[in-house]
Amino acid sequence: MTRNTDTGDDSGDALPDGGVAESGQRSGFSPVSALNERFGSDFVESSQFWLPPFLLVGLFVYGAIIWNLLISLTDFTGFGTPDYGDLDLEMYSRALADSGFVDAAINTFILLVGFTLVTLALGLGLAILIDRNIRFENTFRTIYLLPMSLSFVVTAQFWAWMFNFNNGVINIVITSLGFGRVDWIGNPDIVLWAVMFALMWQFAGYAMVVFLAGLRAIPDEHYEAAKVDGASTVRMYWRVIIPQLKGSTISASVVLMVFALKAFDFLYSLVGGYRPPNGADILATKMVREAYANLNWAYASAVAITLFLMTLGIVGPYLYYQYNRGNL
Amino acid sequence: MGTLELDGVTKVFPDGDGEVVAVDDVNIEMRDGEFLVVVGPSGCGKSTTLRMVAGLETVTSGEIRLASNVINDVKPQHRDIAMVFQSYALYPHMTVKGNMAFGLEESTDLSDEEIETRVTDAAATMGIAELLDRKPSDLSGGQQQRVALGRAIVRDPEVFLMDEPLSNLDAKLRSEMRTELQRLQSELDVTTMYVTHDQTEAMTMGDRIAILNAGELQQVATPLECYHEPANRFVAGFIGDPSMNFFDVERDGDTLIGDTFDYPLSQSTLDDIGDVTDLTLGIRPEDITVTEDASGDHTFSTVVEVVEPMGDENTVYLRFEDAPEGETFIATVGGLQRISVGDEISIEIPEKAIHLFDGSTGEAVHNRDIEE
Amino acid sequence: MSNDARTDGGTASATDTGASAGALARIDGYRILLYLGLVGMLAFFLIPIESGLVTSFKTPGGVSGSLPFAPPTSSTFTLEKWQSAFDALGRGLINSALYAIPATVISALLGSFAAYGITQSNWKQKYKAPLLALFVAGIFIPYQAVLVPLSQFWSMVPLQEWLGFLWALGINNDYVGVIELIVTHVAYGLPICTVLFRSYYKNMSEEMIEAARLDGASIRRIYRRIVLPLSGPMFAVVLIYQFTQIWNDLLFTLVLVQTESSAAAPIVLILAGLGTSLEGQDFALRMAGAFIAALPTLAVYIAFGEEFAEGVAT
Repeated sequence: MTRNTDTGDDSGDALPDGGVAESGQRSGFSPVSALNERFGSDFVESSQFWLPPFLLVGLFVYGAIIWNLLISLTDFTGFGTPDYGDLDLEMYSRALADSGFVDAAINTFILLVGFTLVTLALGLGLAILIDRNIRFENTFRTIYLLPMSLSFVVTAQFWAWMFNFNNGVINIVITSLGFGRVDWIGNPDIVLWAVMFALMWQFAGYAMVVFLAGLRAIPDEHYEAAKVDGASTVRMYWRVIIPQLKGSTISASVVLMVFALKAFDFLYSLVGGYRPPNGADILATKMVREAYANLNWAYASAVAITLFLMTLGIVGPYLYYQYNRGNL
Repeated sequence: MGTLELDGVTKVFPDGDGEVVAVDDVNIEMRDGEFLVVVGPSGCGKSTTLRMVAGLETVTSGEIRLASNVINDVKPQHRDIAMVFQSYALYPHMTVKGNMAFGLEESTDLSDEEIETRVTDAAATMGIAELLDRKPSDLSGGQQQRVALGRAIVRDPEVFLMDEPLSNLDAKLRSEMRTELQRLQSELDVTTMYVTHDQTEAMTMGDRIAILNAGELQQVATPLECYHEPANRFVAGFIGDPSMNFFDVERDGDTLIGDTFDYPLSQSTLDDIGDVTDLTLGIRPEDITVTEDASGDHTFSTVVEVVEPMGDENTVYLRFEDAPEGETFIATVGGLQRISVGDEISIEIPEKAIHLFDGSTGEAVHNRDIEE
Repeated sequence: MSNDARTDGGTASATDTGASAGALARIDGYRILLYLGLVGMLAFFLIPIESGLVTSFKTPGGVSGSLPFAPPTSSTFTLEKWQSAFDALGRGLINSALYAIPATVISALLGSFAAYGITQSNWKQKYKAPLLALFVAGIFIPYQAVLVPLSQFWSMVPLQEWLGFLWALGINNDYVGVIELIVTHVAYGLPICTVLFRSYYKNMSEEMIEAARLDGASIRRIYRRIVLPLSGPMFAVVLIYQFTQIWNDLLFTLVLVQTESSAAAPIVLILAGLGTSLEGQDFALRMAGAFIAALPTLAVYIAFGEEFAEGVAT
C-alpha cells in the first residue's frame, strides 16, 4: 500500500487509493526539494503557473529597459546595429545641451502636474455629486466615464474639431460670450493647456470612479456625526470626508501622472504626425520622433531613460507606500 | 493503520526580525480509531498543530508519523487525510454531489459508478441524500456542515482532522451535531483529531483530550483524568466551569498557611508534597459544601457576596470572614438551598477533594482522592 | 438604480420623515442645484461626442457653414463621409480584431495563471512580494522606455522566415506585424491582468483551496477545477479592460506595423492620419472615422460598463 509521492507528480488522479508515503522514498538530495526548502513547499510545483508569465514580463519589460539603457550609451543612429563596444554618456550630455529636450522636459512636467491636479479636482467633484444619493446614478456615472473607453486617437479627433479655429465649439462659445477667437492648437503658449483640458475630459471619469470607491468606503456614521455636530455640507466634506480620501488620491494621482507621461498617442493623432504642435512637445513625443522619424536610436533611448526615471520617481515611492501598508 | 504520532513537533513562525514559537515540542500518540480533542485558549497553537498534521504548514522540527511513516514532507494531497474546516470550505460552484465526489475523483482511480455509489452511501449516512443536486449556497448552515462532514467521510481516509467544525452553528444545532459526530466517529472507527476551544466539546466528545497552552502540551488524558487529576494548575483551571478556585498558600509543618485561613493536612497528603513549601491549593466549586457545623479543621466561616441562581444549582461567590471585600471564591450549591447576599455561612473544604500545585512550576503535587 | 443608496446627511432622511414645508423647499432648491451640476457635467462630457457625431453627417458646406453642434439640415446631410471613412478603415477594423482579440484572451489567461501561482500556492511571502512588485511596477512602465529595444528585438527575430508557410498560403507578409503585436501586447498587458486577478484571488477562501488540496488535488487540478470556474466575474473585468486598452493603443502599432499603407495596418493607425492632407483637414471624415474606430470599444463599454469601471478602478 504505497502511493507515488514524488513531488514532480502533479497529475494527482492516477494514484491508488489508501496508503501513505514511505519515508525512505523521500530521503536523499534533489534540486526540487532544495528549492522548495528554500522558497516554500509549493515553489517548484506552482512555477508552472507563474514562471512563464514572469519570464515574458521579465524579458519584455525589464530586459528591454536594461537593453534600452545599453543602447542609450552607444552612438547608434540610422540603419544597422548598435556598437556596444564604445559606451559613454554622450547622449545624455547632448540631451542637456538640446533646447528641444529641455523644453520637452519642462512641458512634460507642466502637463504632469497641471493635468493631474485639474483631473483630480474635477474627478472629486463628480464623485461627490454622484454620491449625493441621486436618481439615475448609473446613467450619470456611465456617461462621465465614457471618454475613458475611447482611444487617445479618437479623442484627439474630437478635440481637434472642438479646438478648431473657425468652426470649433470652444471658439463658437467664447465668441458668443463676446471674446475673440483663440488659436488653441496653433499658439505655442496656449496649446499645452488646451491639451491638458482635453486629457482632463478623457480622464476625469477615471478619477471619479476611484474617489467614488473611496467615498463609499467611508461609513455612514461619519456623515451623520458631522451633521449632528452641526457642520454644513461643505464643511463636512472639507473637514471630515475629503481627508479620508488620502488613499484614493494617491492611487489616482499615480495613475494619472503615468497617463500624462504616456500622452504620446493623443499628440500624435492631433496632427497625424510625429511633430506635435509647437509648444506641446513632451518627452514621450520627442523620444518617438527622434527614434522613428530621425533614426537617432541612441539619443531616443537616452530620452526614454529620462522618461523612465521620471516614472520611477513617481511609482517607486508609491510601491514602497503600498508595500508598507501590506498591499503587496 | 491510522496510528498518528507527533514526536517533538515544533513550529516556529518568523515574526519581523524575530521568531514566534507557535507549537513547542509537542508529543502525542494516537492509536488507530481514537478520537482526540485538542483544546486550549485561542492562540495556543492547536490549529497550527492540526494544520501541520494536514500538511498545510511545514514542520519546523520533530516528526509526524502516520502508520509509522514519517509524513513531514508529504504533500497534503498525498497524505490520505480529510479535514473539516470551520468555514466548511465547500466548493460553491459544485453541487453537493460534486463536492463529495471531488476528493474521490482527485485522489483515487475509482470508476464513475463506484464514486457515485460511495457518494450516495455517504450522503445517506449524513442524512443529506435529498440535497445531492443542490448548490452549497442553497443550503442552511447545518446542512452545509453535514455536506462538509460527508465530503470527509466519503473519502474513507486514514485520519479525520476537524478544525472547530461546530463553531458556526447555533447552540441547539451544535449539541445535536456533537452527539451525531461522536456516533459517526465510533461507527467509522477512523482516527480523528478534533480542535476546539469549547470545553464542553472537549469533555463530551473525545476518547482523550490534549490540552495546549502557549504552544506547549499540558496534558493528554481522558476527560475525567484531566478533570480529576490535572497535571498542572493550567489544566486544573482550564477544564471545568465554573473553574477551580486557587489559593496561594505556604506550608508550615503540617499546615497550609493562607492569607486568611489555615488548612491542616493529613500525613498522606503531606507525603505527596515532599519538601515543597510554596504551594497553590485548588478546590472545585462543587466540592465545597455548606455545613451547619463550623467546628471542623476544614470548615470556615464565610460571607456571601453574590448569588447567581442557575436553576438546578446556585453559583455562590464567597469571601473568607477575614478577607477584604471582593476577594471571593466560588462554590456551587443545590438550587433549592436558600442563600442570600450578606449571609454568613460555614463551608467545608474537604481534604479528599483538594488539589495542590507547586507554587513556582504549577505542577500538580497532589490530586484529589477518587472514590471508587 | 443605485445599489447602495444611503441616507446621508439630512437630505434624504428629511424627505423620509416628511419634514415641514420649509425644509422641503430648501431641500428642493438644493436638489435642483445638484441636478443642474450633474446635467451640466453631462453636457461637458457629451458635447465633444455630439459635435463629432453631427459633423460626421455634414457636407463640406455644412461643416463650415453651420454651428458645430447643430444637426445637419436636409441640404447639408450626407452619408458620404461615413462611406469613405468605412472604405478607408474597414480593413483596419479586421486587422485590429486580428491581434486585439487573441492578445486579450492570452494576456487574461496568463495573468490568471501568474496571479494564481503567486497568490494561492504555498511559498514564502518574502519571495513573493518582490515578484509581485515587479508585476505591479510593470503596469506603469512608459512604453517609450522599451521601444528601441523592441524594434531591435523584432528585427532580430526571423519571424518572416518562420511564418513562411503562411505567406505561401497567399497571406500578405505584412501580417507578421499582427503576430508581433500579439506577443508585445500580451507581454505588456500581463502586469495589469496579473494584479487584477491577484486582488480577486486574494479574497478567495483559503480554506476552500486547502480543502481541495486535502481532497488530493494537485496545484494544477485545483486551478482547473476550483479556481478557474470561480474566476468568471474577474475574467469579464479583465477581458473588457484589456480589449479596450489593446484596441485603443497607437504606439505599438506605429512602431511594429509602421505605415498605414501596410496591409496589416490596424484601425487606430489609419485613423491617426485620416482626413489630414496638405489641402486642409476634412473634419467630417475624421469624425466619421473616429466613430467607426470607437464602435467596438463603445459597444463593449455600453454592454459591460460595470466591469469596465471595476477594471479601471483597481
